[in-house]
Amino acid sequence: MSLNSSSIPQADVASRPPLLRLDAIGKTFGTHVVLEDIDLSLAAGEVVAIIGPSGSGKSTLLRCINQLEPPTTGRVTIGDTTIEAGHTPTRRELMALRRNIGMVFQSFNLFPHLTVLRNVSLAQERVMGRTREQADAVSMQLLARVGLADKAQQFPSRCSGGQQQRIAIARALALDPQIMLFDEPTSALDPELGLEVLAVMRELAEGGMTMIVVTHEMRFAENVSDRVIIMADGRIVEQGPSGTVMRNPQTERAQRFLHAVKDR
Amino acid sequence: MNDLVDFWLEHLPAMLDGLLVSVQVTGVSLAIGVPLGLMLALAVQSRSKPMRGIAIVVVEVGRGAPALILLQFTYFGLPNAGLSLDSFASAVIALAWCTGAYTSEIIRAGLEAVPHGQKEAAEAIGLNHLDALRYVILPQALRVSVPALLGFSILMLQASSLCFAIALPELVSQAYLIGSTTFRYMPILVLAGLLYAAICIPATIAVSALERKLGAHA
Repeated sequence: MSLNSSSIPQADVASRPPLLRLDAIGKTFGTHVVLEDIDLSLAAGEVVAIIGPSGSGKSTLLRCINQLEPPTTGRVTIGDTTIEAGHTPTRRELMALRRNIGMVFQSFNLFPHLTVLRNVSLAQERVMGRTREQADAVSMQLLARVGLADKAQQFPSRCSGGQQQRIAIARALALDPQIMLFDEPTSALDPELGLEVLAVMRELAEGGMTMIVVTHEMRFAENVSDRVIIMADGRIVEQGPSGTVMRNPQTERAQRFLHAVKDR
Repeated sequence: MNDLVDFWLEHLPAMLDGLLVSVQVTGVSLAIGVPLGLMLALAVQSRSKPMRGIAIVVVEVGRGAPALILLQFTYFGLPNAGLSLDSFASAVIALAWCTGAYTSEIIRAGLEAVPHGQKEAAEAIGLNHLDALRYVILPQALRVSVPALLGFSILMLQASSLCFAIALPELVSQAYLIGSTTFRYMPILVLAGLLYAAICIPATIAVSALERKLGAHA
């Protein structure tokens, strides 16, 4: 499979029903507007990269999707679960949402008191009701998939940053999510370790996983994602097929941002 | 010198009985008080205002009032309200209250030491509030709190000597009783002190060793 183009042709993606829909998502902290009127819809198998300057609301948008940060306005729909801003979602709605969404954090957030294996197995047992044996078997497969089966009995502190982030990916995959959210997954890693994480993400994308990736990795955005969204000041300033947006941005704000990052 | 040793040996059984009562009242108070402290620590952070209010009152009274006042309140005060308890039960209520109030602060500090990302990761993988607490937050918080909790337990053993004031036959009461019948207060109080030290000094050393060990893996 070619590594330079996405596995799914753009036309194909657009014709499918959306897996995730955001309608008019807004988020304010006090009087500070972080997100304003974000609409986004994602088809199954689509890989979307969100790029933009710091403070543009990229991470907050991701966190609004799985309600770690409840949006102030708007609607999040995934499958047949809709969560409306303004009233607290029921426990069941939250569960339905989070079971379908895996999330990978910038700082990994592995559980330091549990072995690598238990990190991956915990939610399978508590959320999916698998037995420990079943969960551990699935976890071993997932760890093998990210190349870390030999670390299963170690504690996270014994693993490198890149390994920890790959374990975090395995942990997020353990619930069989329909969508994976990545919040700057390589920003806390030195470039070499970042590569091994990007390689795992690329494999996931090629395997047909639906992904939203907030990133500063411009090459990943251009080569792996189907669509690129550029955010600035809490709004989407430009979006489109990755090649087009990255090479030929239309808006002045997007041009300015891409110019700045490409000049480095 | 021989005379002193004979005196100590003669009264050692009674003193050991007293020590046993001291250890028992401390143990039972801790067994009730530490879980109470955990509940208070969680209640103080609760989203429900009445719950928070009650917890804060219980904690602040428990920390604000001297243990001796709490002891006298449960032993001499509660009978006025129609509730008569023997000295052991009164001692347990007062000391468990005191323990709950102080340990809630120790545990709260432990809870706050757990990075926020841990809670978010637990939520993101779909754990409900209780599971997140049980499997992710509390194990890490308690690991931080354990040395301080053990240190507090040692203090409580010493504080149990206050139960002398409510006629609980613990170590100091026994010493006082022996003193008042033999008029040899000095040597018997020294023996009481030695018996406390025999438990507290090794325990303190063990706690610092544990602290170093836990710190090494943090």
